[in-house]
Amino acid sequence: MITLDNVTKQYYSLTALDNVSFTIPRGEVVGLLGPNGAGKTTLIKLLAGLIAPTRGYLRPVQAGWPVIGLKPERLLFPNHLRVSQYLEMVAGMCGVAAADTERVVIESLARVNLLNAANKRIKHTSKGMRQRLGLAQAMIGNPPLLLLDEPSNGLDPDGQQEMARYIRELHAAGKTIVMSSHQLQEVTQVCTYLVILHNGRIRYQNRMAAALALRPYVRIRSDRPLAQIETLLRGLHPDIEVEGDTAVLRNEAMRLRRHVLTLLLNMDYDVVRVEQKRITLAEIYAEAVQ
Amino acid sequence: MNRRIFVLTGYLFRSLFFSLAGSLYVILALAYWAIFFPPGQGTPDLANYMLVIGVFGAALSFLTTITITGRANRAENYPLVVRLPSRVEYITAVLLSALAFTFLLQLLIALLALIRGPELTLGRALEIPPIWIAPNILAAVLALHASDLVTTGWSRVAIFGALALFLLGNSTHAGLSQWLADRLGGFSRFFYEQNAIPVSDAIVRLAAWLRGPGIETLGEIFGSIFWPLRAIAGGVTTGYFTPAQALAPAILLLFATILFLLAADFFAAKDLEMTE
Repeated sequence: MITLDNVTKQYYSLTALDNVSFTIPRGEVVGLLGPNGAGKTTLIKLLAGLIAPTRGYLRPVQAGWPVIGLKPERLLFPNHLRVSQYLEMVAGMCGVAAADTERVVIESLARVNLLNAANKRIKHTSKGMRQRLGLAQAMIGNPPLLLLDEPSNGLDPDGQQEMARYIRELHAAGKTIVMSSHQLQEVTQVCTYLVILHNGRIRYQNRMAAALALRPYVRIRSDRPLAQIETLLRGLHPDIEVEGDTAVLRNEAMRLRRHVLTLLLNMDYDVVRVEQKRITLAEIYAEAVQ
Repeated sequence: MNRRIFVLTGYLFRSLFFSLAGSLYVILALAYWAIFFPPGQGTPDLANYMLVIGVFGAALSFLTTITITGRANRAENYPLVVRLPSRVEYITAVLLSALAFTFLLQLLIALLALIRGPELTLGRALEIPPIWIAPNILAAVLALHASDLVTTGWSRVAIFGALALFLLGNSTHAGLSQWLADRLGGFSRFFYEQNAIPVSDAIVRLAAWLRGPGIETLGEIFGSIFWPLRAIAGGVTTGYFTPAQALAPAILLLFATILFLLAADFFAAKDLEMTE
């Protein structure tokens, strides 16, 4: 949808983004992960057109810059307005016809379960309501690209689940979504494309399904520590590791699992559990930001 | 585009009108009226009425624009800015809301001042809008350049530095002319000692011109950008406008247009770091 070509963003001597290149795939939910200061918010501001790159450039994949709905990280709204008044204003700015405004506002409020707060002044709403209001205003006008900066920040577990559900619904409706988050579980649940930033650079990017399908491994747990036969196991294949009472078989060594099982049983070890696992997002993240 | 600007203008106008700052401006306007048009005082003449309320409008326009830009520069407006195809729409809305607010208060003062004020014929009343509106717009656009919303890098210093330079040159052109002539005298001696007689002679002639007719020319150069204001004041005071003076509001609007285009250019290109 939008391509970034060697984009660098500097604030005086601080390099917030360093030579970043990637394309936001249409119809995907792109999860931006990274520690604080990694450049996630800077990237979202660049995509939103709020700041300009110091070097490099951004260009739409198709002609014309897409209409964008933005939910910023900070939940700041004009507090003197009522929830519905604010959304009516946003609808007016998005070109919604005056006759349709009320319907559009009600629909967007209903979509994020905020109908009962329509007449509340924004200053009297809770943090969860404000997160949902942020999402509601971003959805108005049906923009094809949504930029959500930490959409479930500060929400309780129920609120997080609810937010994940909204995002999945938007994805199902064909929206392209770029969201930053610190919640690995949320990203695993809702994102279909993963970008991990660290120190302003992209350290990892892949489709989520492909990322999590990578590098499966087998764990064979015995009834007691395997230290005595560690050398023997490693001699079978260098990709066999011993972690206490567990033998971990990675890559090509996975094909030797029957052989390892037989070896353990022959050496009078009881096998407690055998499981085939895949790499987790937490492991991908940890490797990327090391 | 019109609808977006209209919606934003209404939002910014309401945010000022229903705020404490908005109330303070209303009090300020009433205080201004009480000071310059006290009900117990005799009827002011028309020139006084037009000038005093005109100055009030320009000053208020500057202040309200500064206040509204402060509100427009809040981080809560990021989602709104993102929706605009062009950022020019945003500062247009800022400008319009400030002018609308100014217009309301100026109208209030103008009506209050008429209680025991001058008798206004239709002809003189029709003269008033361009006389008041052009300085208001110019003041509002200048305020845009003074604001954090629009300013970028050293732009504020450059704009107001240039203005200060013209003001200084306008008020001290005689001394400035003398100072320049003295410096040129020094240069002339230097070139004379280097046997560059023709250059030295040319500089001497320039220095002599600066001590003579050049004083007036320098004054006219520095005073040129303030001429429309002087022309409006002159026309109002004498009660009639010469053809040249009648152009003054249009020239002020031309200045305002140039400054607005500059402000739009600055604002379109700057990184938006709104206050949180």
